[in-house]
Amino acid sequence: MPVRLFLALLAMFVTGEAAGQVRAIEVLGPRPFGYFIGDVIRLQVDVVLDEPFTLQAGSLPRPRPVTYWLDLKTVAVDDRGINGGLHRYRLALDYQIFYAPLEPRELAIPGFSVTATDGAHRVEANVPAWSFLMSPLREIMPRGTGDPVYLRNDTGPMILPVRRWLSLAIASGIASVLLLGLLAYNRAWWPFSTRRKRPFVQAVRAARRAFRSGSGAEAYRAGLLCLHRAFDATAGRAVLADDLSSFLKTAPAFRPLEPEIGRFFQASRRAFFGADARGAEADLPRTVLIDLGARLAEAERGLS
Amino acid sequence: MVDLSSLFHHSGNRWAGVPLLSVERLKSILLVNTLVVAFAAFTVSGWLAFSAWNDNRVISGLATGRDIAVGDRARPEILLARGQFLMRRGRLDEAQALVPAVRISGDRRVLAAIQYDLANARLRTALRLIEDMKIDQAIPLINLAKDGYRAALSVRPDLWDARYNLDVAMRLVRDFPEIQPSSEEPPQETPEKLWTDLPGLPKGLP
Repeated sequence: MPVRLFLALLAMFVTGEAAGQVRAIEVLGPRPFGYFIGDVIRLQVDVVLDEPFTLQAGSLPRPRPVTYWLDLKTVAVDDRGINGGLHRYRLALDYQIFYAPLEPRELAIPGFSVTATDGAHRVEANVPAWSFLMSPLREIMPRGTGDPVYLRNDTGPMILPVRRWLSLAIASGIASVLLLGLLAYNRAWWPFSTRRKRPFVQAVRAARRAFRSGSGAEAYRAGLLCLHRAFDATAGRAVLADDLSSFLKTAPAFRPLEPEIGRFFQASRRAFFGADARGAEADLPRTVLIDLGARLAEAERGLS
Repeated sequence: MVDLSSLFHHSGNRWAGVPLLSVERLKSILLVNTLVVAFAAFTVSGWLAFSAWNDNRVISGLATGRDIAVGDRARPEILLARGQFLMRRGRLDEAQALVPAVRISGDRRVLAAIQYDLANARLRTALRLIEDMKIDQAIPLINLAKDGYRAALSVRPDLWDARYNLDVAMRLVRDFPEIQPSSEEPPQETPEKLWTDLPGLPKGLP
């Protein structure tokens, strides 16, 4: 067994020396038939080298006219790395053919050689030619269409696309106007400058929040305060129980609610100055307070 | 038992210093930002639409035969229209001078188009010269046309009209492997030679 292994290793070593350091070269093309003038053919070349060897970038073919009917357009190298002692490369070459055959004709993309080196030695890797069948684009004798030579037409002028930008401009313009309107409403700019804040709407919300936070006297007082602030904000000054009649003169929309408002101020006085929050709450329960706030909020809509 | 309260306490402290944005403030910021974006889109697209409309007027003006001067930095489509205007008046060299500007613009579609149209103009001129039996003048024009078609196809291989016309031009004057520099003599194209290469011309054929 060890003898066999030794022999196998020796054979590998010997053949490796004999075949040089280039293990394999394979040219993979697309279909080898059915090409017309102007077609681009991508050839893929797989090169396998022994490990220490690397391809010399300078030895690769450069994009250029190869022959009078063949252009090499692009060359790309993909170093696929070293695996199992072998260094693999994949080249991608784009050729464009400009041959005008009169009948189907076999042509060959000529081969080329690339240089590999391990620092001390240089070896040539010869890439073979690749043959394909080229087809004519036109008949040999044109039909009798009048013109001695029929040519395809010019491209004509290229009109720039306007509609796309125009529709985008219209859409974004409408959106801008709408958004500006929304912003003006939000900030109470002209023409919404007469629009007032709705203190009672916010007061009802704040009072609900306050009541939710607890059932004690503090929470009740906080709820009362919310409505007080709404009265102050509506009047533009602090409104006390004694100022109620003058307040209702400036804000007549609240007049139908006068008795309820009076009841609120009484309860408030009892809660804050009488320090009897429980008694005040019995007088004006929370649900009634919220209800009053909601009716005030409804009334304030008629103010502006 | 894990004491979760310390965790909550910690997280509570962490967030205590961060002022929370109120919904109203957030709404306001969002509104302003959206407005800025929408207005920017309106400005840009409006300008693009206007300039495209304006340039289309130049293009259609040139197409209807008005001699409108065009700068090198104009849009490639305008340069193409100018080139086509010059080609219709037989000023092929002036039209050819526009090609570098189109190439700089980087628009491959227009670059292929102007080179294709130029090659067509040259080929048509050459065909007229052949009808007048001025073969020697026609051959260099046909070769230039072939170069133009090849350049157009190199940029846009899917331009089938260029393939077709290149095929026509190549059958008029066939390519041959270039003679190596060892022989100094340039290849002479004789009229007899040309006519053998003109299978597409019915004149003189049975």
